[in-house]
Amino acid sequence: MKQIQGSFIKGYVRIVVTGIRPEMFFQECTDRGVTVWNIKREGRKTCSGNVKLPDIPKIRTIRREQNYKITFEQRRGYPFLFSRFFRRKEFVFSFIMSILLILFMSNIIWKVEITGELPKEIEEKIEAQLNAYGIHAGAWIFTIDPPAKIQQKLTDDIPELLWVGVRQKGTTYQLEGVEKIVVQEDKVEGPRNLVATKKGIIKRMYVSKGVPQVEINDYVEPGKILVSGTLNEVTENEDDDKKEKRKEIVVPAEGEIIASTWYEIDVTIPLKQNYELLTGQQEKKYYIGIKDFKFPIWGFGSPDYQDVHRDSTTSAIKFLKWNLPIDIIETTLSEKQIQKFERSKEEAVQAGIKQAKEELQLQLGPDAKITSEKVLHESIENGKVKLYLYLTVEENIAKAQPISQGD
Amino acid sequence: MKNLQQRLRPWLVKYLALPSDVVMELPRITIIGQLHVYIENHKGLAVFTDKELRLKTTKGYIQIKGSSFVLKMMLPEEILLEGKIAEVKFISG
Repeated sequence: MKQIQGSFIKGYVRIVVTGIRPEMFFQECTDRGVTVWNIKREGRKTCSGNVKLPDIPKIRTIRREQNYKITFEQRRGYPFLFSRFFRRKEFVFSFIMSILLILFMSNIIWKVEITGELPKEIEEKIEAQLNAYGIHAGAWIFTIDPPAKIQQKLTDDIPELLWVGVRQKGTTYQLEGVEKIVVQEDKVEGPRNLVATKKGIIKRMYVSKGVPQVEINDYVEPGKILVSGTLNEVTENEDDDKKEKRKEIVVPAEGEIIASTWYEIDVTIPLKQNYELLTGQQEKKYYIGIKDFKFPIWGFGSPDYQDVHRDSTTSAIKFLKWNLPIDIIETTLSEKQIQKFERSKEEAVQAGIKQAKEELQLQLGPDAKITSEKVLHESIENGKVKLYLYLTVEENIAKAQPISQGD
Repeated sequence: MKNLQQRLRPWLVKYLALPSDVVMELPRITIIGQLHVYIENHKGLAVFTDKELRLKTTKGYIQIKGSSFVLKMMLPEEILLEGKIAEVKFISG
């Protein structure tokens, strides 16, 4: 029975043969490799049997060679079901429309959810901001920026937000925000000393509480006590007995110790430099991408820019929860200029010093003041100027250290 | 030569116990009750009505009689007959 398996999928037909000795027609069929089944004698001159749909052309040739009349009766199997289905235009049309509708719905934002412990006004602010970006219920998913970018923009635009997590989950946008809370800086409570954090020479001292242990122009090493929080009040009038029992009074030392510190820094500055600059001219193009193939749908022709910077974002079209292999690709072509820059050795040295100062300032914070700089060594190697710089800085080197009072 | 082969075949069947239907090109008929007849190694259809099936073989015909016959399957050398079988007869031609 293996021979007639799968006949329903490929389709089969019941044929009725009329002629003298109709069974011989089926004999001829089997001789030529056509499988026939359920053969029945209908009458004196007729016989019927099932044949597969792909065998029909063979049957036609056999009929042409012999004197039989053939009529097709029942048509069974999927091919016939399909053709019956496709014959109904409105049915096919509505089927395609419903798929298109699902496709359309799957690519729309249905909901924007804001979670997290946020006050009402910030939530409203976020919503307004999202509206400004074009994110609201009913927006096309592939017209909006990727979540990482929105996350960046939101934290930039709403200063009250410390962090915001943006996640796209199918057709909903989930936002989770954390509010920025200004936390009072932790102060070292209780008695404490001020100690040096860096080696340097003391330039100025402003002590508001505590006993200074160093003087101006003293050299200090890290860890040295600058201002002591222990006050030893020794009064001359007191008795010797009392002197021994005198109380140590400890206070939280407070003050600012400005010292001159020094740094040695290496910088390398190229004499020649190339850099790219966007002119601001740009054009947008849209493509439909299937695997590696891109089909343009908007923005034809190429702009006459000399140098072009390309920036593409790809977003997949969704069908229910699956990403289809079809993408919408948005490419931004921006005009750029390549600038060449050459400078003399003196200019390079100046640029190097400036760069070193900026770097150091960034490292030390805005309170530090760079007082002098000196080039200790300079050399030119491979078109680059190498500098070895010596910078002196005036900064606060004091750090609070609690006094451990034992028991 | 052919003569020798024909004389050799019964000998092969008898002494080497080779299956006789293969060696001697004889039809193999399997009958399941009155319901089915399965015939292999036939040489073609001669007559088929709902009361009679006649098949060619190397040495004549096989005649099967009964009622409400349907050929369930027909392949070049196999036939499966369904119906109410009454008799199976060998007719030497």
